[in-house]
Amino acid sequence: MTTEHVTHDRPDIDKHVDPGPDRAQYGLAALLALIGVWTVVDSAGLGPGFADQVVRPGAFGYVIGSALVVLAVLLAVATARGSRAEGEGGEDVDLDVSTDWRTLAGLAGVLVATIALIDWLGWAVVGALLFAGAATVLGNRHWVRNLVLGAVLSVTSWYGFYVGLGIPIPAGVLDGIL
Amino acid sequence: MTVVVGWTSDARGQAALVRGAEEARAHGEPLVVVNATSGTAAVDDRFAGADDVSGVRALLDSLGVQAEVRQPVVRDVTEALLAVAEEVDASMLVIGIRHRSPVGKLLMGSTAQRLLLDARCPVLAVKAKEPAGR
Amino acid sequence: MIHALLTGFGSALAPENLLFAVVGVLLGTAVGVLPGIGPAMTVALLLPVTYNVSPSAALIMFAGIYYGGMYGGSTTSILLNTPGESSSVITALEGNKMAKGGRAAQALATAAIGSFVAGTIGTVLLIALAPTVAEWVVVLGAPSYFALMLLALLAVTTVLGSSKLRGFISLALGLTIGLVGTTTGQARLTFDNPLLADGIDIVVVAVAIFAVGEALWVAAHLRRRPLEIIPVGRPWMDRTDWGRSWKPWLRGTAYGFPFGALPAGGAEMPTFLSYITERRLAGRHRAEFGKGAIEGVAGPEAANNASAAGTLVPLLAIGLPTTATAAVILAAMQSYGLQPGPQLFEAEPELVWTLLASLFVANTLLLVINLPLAPVWARLLRIPRPYLYAGILFFAVLGAYSVNFQWFDVALLSLFGALGFAMRRFGLPVLPLIVGVILGPRLEEQLAQALQLSQGDVSALWSEPVAVIVYVVIAALLLAPIVLRLMPGRQGPERLEDQVDALEEEVRS
Repeated sequence: MTTEHVTHDRPDIDKHVDPGPDRAQYGLAALLALIGVWTVVDSAGLGPGFADQVVRPGAFGYVIGSALVVLAVLLAVATARGSRAEGEGGEDVDLDVSTDWRTLAGLAGVLVATIALIDWLGWAVVGALLFAGAATVLGNRHWVRNLVLGAVLSVTSWYGFYVGLGIPIPAGVLDGIL
Repeated sequence: MTVVVGWTSDARGQAALVRGAEEARAHGEPLVVVNATSGTAAVDDRFAGADDVSGVRALLDSLGVQAEVRQPVVRDVTEALLAVAEEVDASMLVIGIRHRSPVGKLLMGSTAQRLLLDARCPVLAVKAKEPAGR
Repeated sequence: MIHALLTGFGSALAPENLLFAVVGVLLGTAVGVLPGIGPAMTVALLLPVTYNVSPSAALIMFAGIYYGGMYGGSTTSILLNTPGESSSVITALEGNKMAKGGRAAQALATAAIGSFVAGTIGTVLLIALAPTVAEWVVVLGAPSYFALMLLALLAVTTVLGSSKLRGFISLALGLTIGLVGTTTGQARLTFDNPLLADGIDIVVVAVAIFAVGEALWVAAHLRRRPLEIIPVGRPWMDRTDWGRSWKPWLRGTAYGFPFGALPAGGAEMPTFLSYITERRLAGRHRAEFGKGAIEGVAGPEAANNASAAGTLVPLLAIGLPTTATAAVILAAMQSYGLQPGPQLFEAEPELVWTLLASLFVANTLLLVINLPLAPVWARLLRIPRPYLYAGILFFAVLGAYSVNFQWFDVALLSLFGALGFAMRRFGLPVLPLIVGVILGPRLEEQLAQALQLSQGDVSALWSEPVAVIVYVVIAALLLAPIVLRLMPGRQGPERLEDQVDALEEEVRS
């Protein structure tokens, strides 16, 4: 297997004077180890499989689970030795600004509300709330306009899926109205 | 006392700028040119590029007006303009306005209206001479 | 073959398919222009259409999005100097300089026509190669397939990206997601939840990683200061520009296609090589490099598009995805029950030839539609981003919900969306994960088949010559960096990214 040999930081990150280890990476390593151990335990709980099954159902799980644990250790070691994560750039991304946790929390709230309400209220209502909520959280304050746009989008997409694509999305509380 | 101009890099912004410069020169006051953007779109036509800004500086220099150009990126453009007017204790706020349809006003709200109502100093609203757009 | 192709054209030009091609090309260009959305995300968001649109129509649309996305990306690179993908970095280098020097129309024109030339030649090569490769691959047994898939997994993990450790982490996570379900007869990692018995739908994973993860990541790091866009009219070129462009187009195509066809070749390397070559061969125009040389746009853009065509060779002939978009297209084919690879050419010749013919159609449409539309595309950049990203989340949730009409899939979407965010935060590449989810189960299947035939004799895995060759390649792939590092006087292979950075600095100074 290979190990990490890329430890040279890029100069644009280097300009901050020695920021210390990227502590959040220990969290990632712990998560990877947890998933790995869980996968191995799950594989151990599987039966031997059918008589003609040469590759036992647990085999892949053992390999992948152990690999995850090994990778978790390697990541922890690399982190301790100063390897830092290089966040992904992009056209709309400014990596120099610190993470906007408020917006993220808002979007997470919108998604959780969507999960909680979608089976009850149906797509046409929840979709509109999702769009309006996300747009408002993302910085557009005209929430009335956001709601109108969201409603147009969700009703149009509902009909588009139902009529155009033949995908019968349940109407939820609007059953009989749409 | 200072004259504050709400400048956008289009015809009405230009009209406001020219009028603001005239006012500043007539009263012998310094000028603060504010070109704010909310940065919600990747490209904002009303946010001046480097060339526009140097053009404005040249124009103001030639008029002999002591001027400062600010280009803040803010959550709310109207609030930013009002905040600058407060900060420099403005004697006058000059803005460019355009004709809006009733539906447009309903949907988009009106920056000009909020400025007129909320500003503590007199507000001079200027219309572009030519039709909007550049 | 000519007959098959003509039949394919007949079908591709049928009104319904033509309509999907137009939609795909327009949509692809639009998302290529829009910051924050790429072709992979768009195809992922459109996966629900595979539930009810015919396979040929959907694949034609996806191919149009793939080609259109490449084109749209170059438009933004030239007008805004914000390359979204690493393959457009080089285009931005000279293209934006040209635009600033008042030659935006020519830069866009050479990019568009170069893309057309490269795409067309690339598609011809694809048509010449893919059936041959498929014929050659069809005789291979499970051991060779197993080896090939292993190679594909390791190649996307080790060749691309800056850190191999992070690549492997991403791959292992993808393989773990692929484990979920009861394909082996027993419930693996299902947490006794019957909703997970069929495994995690690839639509949910792809949409979550590409769309939700990206939207959350951008929302957390939004660049607010507006960019200066260079106003542009209709793209055009004069005789001198044509004279300076056609050779770079052809050379770029020659670089791009083979790299695209290789596992994990990608578009980054050939655009880089093309740029270097053009600069070396520029002769009396060499001084223009760094100030907006048309050759530096023509070559890399051609390489970029030719590599997209090249990518389709392993995808169609062997069933191996080498780019993110190809991976999502593969997921779409699987949701139709189509298994890309040699069987596809035998079982669905009509579909394959319609798709191949439609690539020509898409390419031509791109040129015809996009040359006059360049100013319109630039206007898309004025869409307020709250609406853009709210729209992405909206369609992502709609896509996940339409899988089973259950909140559970939306919850999974959010969970994997959080994973997608974390991956971007920790620099974990996305491609190995997606390829791992798709190929993991098939890898297991091929291994089971190979060992079943040999009744458990492991040596069967290297019983075929092709398998042995592939293992040698894998060994070379894994060992080469280590050997190079041990060689005296070498600091190890330089990262392409560093080279590009160095080049960029050199050009800008």
